Formats: sequence, structure tokens, C-alpha cells
Amino acid sequence: MASTAPASTHHERPPLYRDVTVVKWVVQIIALLLTLGALWFLANQAGDNLKASNVPTDYDFLSVNPGIDLSSGIDTDPDTGGRALWVGMVNTLRMAIAGILVATVIGVLIGLSRLSNNWLLKKLGTVFVETLRNVPLLVQILFYGAVFASLDRVSLDVGPVNGWFHVSNKGLSMPRVHIADGFYQWMIVIGIGLFAANLLRKRRIAQQDLSGEETYPILSAFGLVVIFGALGWFIHPIFGFVGNIFDGLSSVVSAVPEGALQILVALLSVGTSVYWIRGFLNSRRTPAGLAKLTDDDYFRMIFAGVGGVLGAVFFLVLWPGLSSWMINSGSDLFEVLGNKFGNGRSGRPVDVALPDIVQVGKFPNYGPSGLNFSIGFAAVFFGVVFYTSAFIAEIVRGGILAVPKGQTEAAAALGLRRSTALRRVIIPQAARVMLPPLGNQYLNLTKNTSLAIAVGYSDIVQVGQTVYNQTGKTLPVVSIWMFFYLSCSLSISVIVNFFNVRMRIVER
Amino acid sequence: MSIDDATTAANDRLADRDDMIVCVDVDKFYGDFQALKGVTATIKEGEVAVVCGPSGSGKSTWIRCINRLEVHQGGDIVVDGIELTNDLRNIEKIRSEVGMVFQQFNLFPHLTVLDNITLAPIWVRKKPRAEAEGMARALLDRVGIPEQAEKFPGQLSGGQQQRVAIARSLAMEPRVMLFDEPTSALDPEMIKEVLDVMKELARSGITMMVVTHEMGFAREVADRIMFMEGGEIVEVGTPEHFFTNPTEDRTKLFLSQIL
Repeated sequence: MASTAPASTHHERPPLYRDVTVVKWVVQIIALLLTLGALWFLANQAGDNLKASNVPTDYDFLSVNPGIDLSSGIDTDPDTGGRALWVGMVNTLRMAIAGILVATVIGVLIGLSRLSNNWLLKKLGTVFVETLRNVPLLVQILFYGAVFASLDRVSLDVGPVNGWFHVSNKGLSMPRVHIADGFYQWMIVIGIGLFAANLLRKRRIAQQDLSGEETYPILSAFGLVVIFGALGWFIHPIFGFVGNIFDGLSSVVSAVPEGALQILVALLSVGTSVYWIRGFLNSRRTPAGLAKLTDDDYFRMIFAGVGGVLGAVFFLVLWPGLSSWMINSGSDLFEVLGNKFGNGRSGRPVDVALPDIVQVGKFPNYGPSGLNFSIGFAAVFFGVVFYTSAFIAEIVRGGILAVPKGQTEAAAALGLRRSTALRRVIIPQAARVMLPPLGNQYLNLTKNTSLAIAVGYSDIVQVGQTVYNQTGKTLPVVSIWMFFYLSCSLSISVIVNFFNVRMRIVER
Repeated sequence: MSIDDATTAANDRLADRDDMIVCVDVDKFYGDFQALKGVTATIKEGEVAVVCGPSGSGKSTWIRCINRLEVHQGGDIVVDGIELTNDLRNIEKIRSEVGMVFQQFNLFPHLTVLDNITLAPIWVRKKPRAEAEGMARALLDRVGIPEQAEKFPGQLSGGQQQRVAIARSLAMEPRVMLFDEPTSALDPEMIKEVLDVMKELARSGITMMVVTHEMGFAREVADRIMFMEGGEIVEVGTPEHFFTNPTEDRTKLFLSQIL
């Protein structure tokens, strides 16, 4: 029997109110409009009420001298409120990045030790985890702060400290390795070395694949970088001409009015999003023409477009003010680079300065020559690192235990050594399980640095609080806090998700 | 044919071969429970030995002791002249000569089929990648799935996965293959494709020790069938003897239940 499609149902469009696509889009747009409307209404109401009760909501304080000193940071005597908050943000970021790195290392070690067959290691790991994760973080930070505050006082009687490390109730001071004259030229040599090392690594891997002999690709690449670094220590002045290139660029850029630059960057922002949308559409093109786009695809393209436009608005309206807080000088980027790579800078690439004690105001303190960690920094740092590493240890343990026993057995039955099996079979699979909760811990650590306020470390919250105590602009400062933490958290999420996608196991 | 005749016939055919696996009085305990009670058996080079018996009889435990996935507590196990002791070097040597296929396949899900097969040749045998991949493709051809090389295990059917697992073991060019219930986790229509590969292997002359409930396979290719119960080998004989004329009551009961 020939199959005939029932003619009545073929290609007949349903009425609009029953068409799934139409209904879905209409509902979504209505929901979006309602949400925006509600937000606008609430914001308006809040604005009116705040105005009526004389609560200031303007951001003028960003460009006014707040008249505050910060306990630590890239600029302890900021000119403007914006600059002060920027210093606080840098402090928070420093704490978060250093904390994430150290907490990961400690957490992995403790997690592995809890799995080891060594009784002592196992018990020590258990005690570490059970103690640290069961005491509130704030209590731990206050504890470390109290311990460090009970250290010896600094006094000038000690005289200039010529030793390498000095610990006192002002914190820890140690030698500072600082960028000296020839650093940037040296970095060019090392950059070339990294490039060459990468080529060498690839060559070595190819060799190993061809002959089966172990050729130590990573080790030899590392060696090459070290050789380039040592060589560059002496020959780096030959790259002084790079400074002239940047000087040239600088004069070209300064010939262009700032408005033109802003327009250029704004166009770039819009251009990038157009380019992305085009690439996206191309990726959906099949030999049979453009594939049917899902709602999701449309949303992505809409968001990319909106992102590009918002970026353009940002560069056109907000950029000039923002850039002056961050660079804090009249010079443009290329002038700065021209100066750093300049011909005259031919001294040693890096230098070491030893700690020193000087009189600051009424009290003796560590001078700027050494690398100083205040007890505030140390207390918060130890607090978040130990607290988070206890959780990371549990994640690592869980991740490794989540790999089925059969995988270890199969690797053993094939004759793989324990270390090879761990590296090639167990860890790649454990990492897949560990990554999402690990991302959560990184977010927690970053947000927990706000407890720095308890020991007076100048993180964004502490600085912000000082600023609004001085100016009374509570709501604007809080909005900046929220925006800042949101940006940090979203950045971490994006990075973790990137690895998450790469590690995904293909199922079908 | 009496039992003695049957056993003698099998022994005659294999008499001039070297011993490949020798187990003498092997004991294995899990806590107080004794899983193996003085298991003694010799498997000759090129022999296909099928181990069967009810679940919990210790057959998987025994086969897993032979490449030291389980540690035996009493008796001796000698594989190809190498005694299985606590010596790491001996364990490594034996494991690189003995391939194993598991009930649950245990393929590495994060690696492609090709990488699954080449992993051990590259990292244990230190073979050049090109050579290892060439061999892997030849092995995939042998097990009948040359077109699946670039896929991941999760994208294959159970039967295909088990055939990849067999190819993965063969890539180490083992002298002995252990099969621990290789078809028990498969759908009925996939059992045949795996058994066909195993039959081809058996005819190629490799020494095989197979724990299985597939009595058709045992009847067709086994040189000897060993029946285990309660941690002991109860009866040993050629397939004709085992299926037509078993002596022990426990064997008869087992056969009546599964045939």
C-alpha cells in the first residue's frame, strides 16, 4: 500500500495563539518587559524616597580627595576616592589570587595524604580538615591576627636590619626582588626563549612519538628558557630600540585627539560583536544551508550584540575617568612603554633590596625597601587559605574516590606503574568530578576576603567603608562593591567553565 | 570414555607443552571468609581453560590472583616461570605478559578507542606512537571494528566496548589472556560478537583462562573445563567428559541448573 500523508494536517499553520514558537517568544518578551518595568518602578521609587530623605546617591566622591591613608596597597595615600577604591580592589585581587594558588596546593596535598596508606599522614590530614572547616572563618582570622599582634614590637634600636627576614607585630619584612632598569628588555629575550622552547618541546614530542625514546620535552624546553634568561641577563641592552618604537607610536597616538581614540575603541567593541555573530552563524552553516536556529542561538546573538553596544557606550562615556584612576598620570600607554623599554635603561634587569626599619610619623615601621606583609594581610591570608584548603582537600579526596575501582585495576592489569596510572588514567577523570566544586571554593575564597575588615587590611570593603564614613555616600559605595565582587565571581566562573567544557567526557 | 581416559587424552595432547600457569595450594581469605581453599592446577602453554561454577565459588577471585589484582595468602603461583611474590619487578613482569578482560570492560572513558589501546604500549613498552597506532588499528581490524578508532568508549555498544577491551589487552602482546566473565554484562545479541573474537583468539594458540557461563563456548573451544565450588576445584576434564559424563554430584547439579 502506498503511504499518503494525510493532506489535512500537512503544512497548515496553526493560529498564532496556538503556535508554540510565537507563544514562547511573546511570553518571554512580556516577562522581560514586566521585569524591567518593575525594576524601573522600584529604582524610581527608591530614588524619590532617597531624595526626599536627603540620602546622597551621586558618585562625585570618586573624583574628590578622600583624605584617607590606607594601611597597605599600591598607593597608600590616594588622591581621589576612585583611586582609593581601586587600591582596595587591587588588594582584594592580590589576596584572592595568592589565596587561590596556595589553598589549591595545600588542599591537594592534604586531600592526597588522607588517601595515603601511611597512618600518620592520614590522621594528620583528618585532624587538619576537621579542625579548620569546623571553626568559623572570622574566628580563625581574628585568632591569627591576635597571634601576630603578640609578636615583638619593632624599634629603631634594632638599627637597620641587614638580615633577610624580620618578623614583628608590624608583620613580616623580607627582601624585595624589584624590577630594575633592564627588566623589560630582558623580558623580550625571555619571550623569544619561550617561543623557541615551545618549538623545541613540539620537536621533542614528535621525536618521542617517532622513536619511542624518552626525550624529556618539558624538561628540555624549561632548560632552554633558563639558558635564554641567563644569556639575556647580559645581552638585553640590544633591545633598547624597542623603546624608540613605542615612543614613535606614542607621538602618533598623541597626535590623535582622545575623542577619536574613544570612537575607535568603541567601534572595535561593536566590530568584535558583529564579527562574533558572523562567526557563530558560519558555524551553524551546514552543506544544506543555514541550520535551523534554536531560541538559545537567537539569545546568544542578541546578548553578543547588546554586549558590543554596552562596551561601546562604556568606552565613549566612562573610559576617560576610569583610565585616570588606574594609570594616575597624564601619560598614555605607549609613552609609558616607550619609557620602560627605553635606550637609556641598560642596567641589571632585577635587583634585590633588603628590609629596613625607619621612623614613620611617631612609630618605627618597616621602610619601603623590603617586601612587607602587614599582620592584617597575613591574618586574612592564613585564614582564607587554611579554611578553604580544608574544603579543597575533601573535594580532591572525593574526586579521586569517585573514579571507579575498575579503572585502577584495568591500568594495573595492563602493567602501568602506579604513577603513570595516576597521571594518565585517574587524575584526568578525577579532575572532571573535582572542577565544579573547586570553582565554588574559589568563589567562596574570593568573597571571604571581605572579612579583612576584621583585622584592618585595606581590601575593597574596608576602604569602601572608610570612604563612606568620610563622605556619607553609602549606597554608591555599596553598589561599587557589588559590581566588583560580581565581576570577580563571574570571571572565575568563566575560567572554571572553560576547563569544565574541555574536560567533558564524550558520551555519544 | 571414562574420566581417566578423558583426562589422559587432554593431558596427552598438551603433555609436551611447557607449563604456563602453575598454582599450588593457593589460599585466599577475606577477613575470616576463605575464598580459595588450596587451589591446585596447571595450565599448559596454548591451552584454553574454562573455569565455571556457581556464583561465589571463587572463580573470579582465583583468576584475579593470577595477575595480582588480589593478593593470595597461601600457596604458590608461578606464571611462565616467574613466581608471583611481593617483588615489584616480578609483579610488573607478570602483568606485562598477562592480559585481562573484565566483566565491566573498564575502558578509559576519557580516551579515544585508539588512545585506550596505545596507552600501555607507549607508556610501558616505550613504543613509538606511530608503531603503536599501526598495531592498534590492526588489532581493531582483527576484532572487527576498524571504523571506531576515533570514537570514545561511551559512543560504542557494549559488545563493541568489550571487543576494544580485548584489543587493548592484546596490544601488550601477552602470552596469557585472562577473561573474567567477559559476556555477563552484555545483551544477548552482543554476546555472539564477543565470543566469535574469543574463538578466533583461542584458535590462534594463545594461552587462555576464561571464567564464563557460556557453555556453548566451553564445549566448542575449551581444552579443559574446571568446575569450582566453595573455593575448591571440584572436577576437571575435557568438554566431552564434562558435559556427557560428569562424576561429581555437585557438577551434575550445576549442569542441570544451567543447561
